[in-house]
Amino acid sequence: MSNSVTREVPAPPGATPASAGGGAAPRRRRLSLGGSAGIVAGLVILCGYLAITQPIFLTWGNITNIVLSNSVILLLAIGATFVIIAGGIDLSAASAGTACAMVLGLGLSSGLGAVTALLLTLLAGLLIGVVNGALISYLRISFLVVTLGTLSILESIALVSNQGTTISVFELEAFQGVYHFTLDRIGGVPILMIFDVVVVAAAVLILRYTPFGRSVFAIGSNPEAARLNGINVALTMLGVYVIAGLAAALAGIVQVGRLTAASPAVDSTLLLTVIAAVLIGGTAYTGGEGGVGGTVLGVLFLGVIQNGLTLSEVSTFWRGTVNGLVLIVAVALGVARHSGLFRRRKGKVS
Amino acid sequence: MVGTDPDNESAPPLLSVRGVSKSFPGVRALHDVTLTVRAGEVHALTGENGSGKSTLSKVIGGVHKPDAGHLEIDGVRRSLTGPADALRHGIVMISQELTLAPTLSVAENIYLGRAPRTRWGAVDWAAMRRAARTVLDDLSVHVDETDRVGDLSVELQQEIEIARAVSSDARLLILDEATSSLSEAAAARLLELIAEQSARGIAVLMISHRMPELYACATTATVLRDGSLVATVPLPETPEPELVRLMVGRELGDYYGEREVELGEVVLEARELATDDGALRPTSLTVRRGEIVGVAGLVGSGKAELGLALAGAVAAQGSVQVNGERVGLSSPRKALASGIAFVPDDRKRSALLPVRSVAENFAVSWLGGLSRFGLLRVRDERRQVDRAIRTYGVVTSSAANRISHLSGGNQQKVVLGRVFDLGCDVYVLSEPTRGVDVGAKSDIYRLLHGIVEKGAAVILISSELPELLGMCDRIVVFFEGEIRGEFAGEEMEETRIAEVAVSGGPSLPAAPGTA
Repeated sequence: MSNSVTREVPAPPGATPASAGGGAAPRRRRLSLGGSAGIVAGLVILCGYLAITQPIFLTWGNITNIVLSNSVILLLAIGATFVIIAGGIDLSAASAGTACAMVLGLGLSSGLGAVTALLLTLLAGLLIGVVNGALISYLRISFLVVTLGTLSILESIALVSNQGTTISVFELEAFQGVYHFTLDRIGGVPILMIFDVVVVAAAVLILRYTPFGRSVFAIGSNPEAARLNGINVALTMLGVYVIAGLAAALAGIVQVGRLTAASPAVDSTLLLTVIAAVLIGGTAYTGGEGGVGGTVLGVLFLGVIQNGLTLSEVSTFWRGTVNGLVLIVAVALGVARHSGLFRRRKGKVS
Repeated sequence: MVGTDPDNESAPPLLSVRGVSKSFPGVRALHDVTLTVRAGEVHALTGENGSGKSTLSKVIGGVHKPDAGHLEIDGVRRSLTGPADALRHGIVMISQELTLAPTLSVAENIYLGRAPRTRWGAVDWAAMRRAARTVLDDLSVHVDETDRVGDLSVELQQEIEIARAVSSDARLLILDEATSSLSEAAAARLLELIAEQSARGIAVLMISHRMPELYACATTATVLRDGSLVATVPLPETPEPELVRLMVGRELGDYYGEREVELGEVVLEARELATDDGALRPTSLTVRRGEIVGVAGLVGSGKAELGLALAGAVAAQGSVQVNGERVGLSSPRKALASGIAFVPDDRKRSALLPVRSVAENFAVSWLGGLSRFGLLRVRDERRQVDRAIRTYGVVTSSAANRISHLSGGNQQKVVLGRVFDLGCDVYVLSEPTRGVDVGAKSDIYRLLHGIVEKGAAVILISSELPELLGMCDRIVVFFEGEIRGEFAGEEMEETRIAEVAVSGGPSLPAAPGTA
């Protein structure tokens, strides 16, 4: 038999016969930001405050600066959104990004062409994703154990790869393409910003409009139900970690472009900022809920706060405190919303 | 604590609920409900899902505060501040969701939060084990007090909950669907425990969808509908059709319904099917188009494993053919592709996507068929979901509602409907009406008739014999991992089936099914 979904089923008990086409109940369109109303409000208030107190805030230069300087975080966070929705977490994300940056740096400095070096970098990200995913879904090792392990391994490999020293690529001919990609603008709009938008759109498409994306939600919500409904759970999980690996490769490329160098040191706060952004954006750490739209808001929220602190000449040492507070408050508000404190309860009586 | 004399009618009742109302935003859950429970009484609280039974039991258990009205305990007006306060008054709730700590021992669970202390303030482990042993022996629960609770069966866990309640000087036990996850035998054992407790003067307020249970234990039934009190009637004097009529507010007619089906050719043939863990021993079974084959047996008899093995959900050996084509047994995906659809017995654990919408819970079964060039055809999906909601009679204000906000019956209609829409040849349904109210049950039975009238075959695995007798053309009975009896037509009698299920049968009727 085929998985045909069109076959009609016998007349229902006590239900009106289904009239094909018409008569669908009026339906509330679900916004992808539906669960993120709080973060949108917070972002608007924050921007309003900064616009009034810091004249420079609303300038195009400052706005693009916020987006560009948070691109690495955004790319990693998009990968992390897939993983967290699927019910896992990828602790190796930041280390993977750094390792991929080193692959690009070494590739360029050893005389490879730009395209070859970039493909090699993406291949490295893919490989990291396959290793993480295969260990987790086929060998059934806990995602915490696997990604904690690869976090440490990748961090160390990045250091070993060039004896712990930074590779400067600024002078290299092959680097110029990457450099212009992260620096240039088309009609005032940075190419990198356009690239970010394209990646976000692709991620939204995959997550919401493909069977794969739906399977990710199903697995995060109830892996056993997903399996019994014919979803290939192991393969889907592998795909999720591959996406995270590719996101790390993109982040590594952008990092090299913006620094004009490949640094082997993993930014110790990067991973936590990425996960915080995903959670602030309304993706549930318990899996099955969330979206890329929310993650974009989460990244922007943290980015704008960071920008505001800089503009207000507050010491950057405070950054972690503010990020931590925002994370706790945002997730607490999200929990409160779900438990119905701020919303009319649904009619669940029985 | 059990001082109240159950025969003394002049004493104030153990519990009086007086004119209690409770609303949640947008929903009036209870309206002016009055109820009296006397010591030693088993009082059934009945009604369809959504009628307010659980809300009422939560008001009594101190979880919800009433908006209007009040409770009286021993004739004294009380305002409970929470479950802990209810517990201090001897009111203990036991629901189908177990509240045990799975990694702790039986004794630790029984004395959770009130462990006996030595004079130095440390936990007195020896005393705790002794006390637990005494309680378990009193109730003749055959389990070692040092066993880890998570390793025990659901049945035993439920009995340990009862042991905990009894040992805490409970005066009123509230059982909210406590038997719904148990097999008939285990439920019977639980009911025995309940009867013993009520004989000792403990009052029991019992919520159950299983009619025979209510008739076996309860002396009074209070019927709720849409949050209001309909009637309080004596049991077992009130006949079942009358009670059902009070619950649903209409005549249900023939509960199980009828179907007009000619049996067709053989569609499913299982040969020497056995699970690797040994729970299902080599079993053969043939099913024809248009047929509903019932599978009876106790928990652990192998009947559940038959379903899992056919669905490709457990490691199994043997051969299964659908329409003469061999079915891959290694994954549910392969079984589905060969035309075998499966609905698991534990809705919450294995069927629902709890945080997702009604629409996504339907569509999770249809992803393959709804996609083209790797993209989901969202408009087709929406159309099919809307049609399925109507076809299967799912009551929900919107397809975007979270499935966990629906009643059990409506959730089950989604779980069944999504596989019925696949147009498979064989439906293996494990406990499809568990935890579902009478109205929804009868809807589900009609859906089953419809699906076999279309030429599919159904394997109905159930712990409820009346359901099997009412629905099936033929019933096979499992005992110790294999089919020990097969009954069709006139031979389908409750006592004969039960005899095989419990003891393996009087004598083996000419090797039915098995080789």
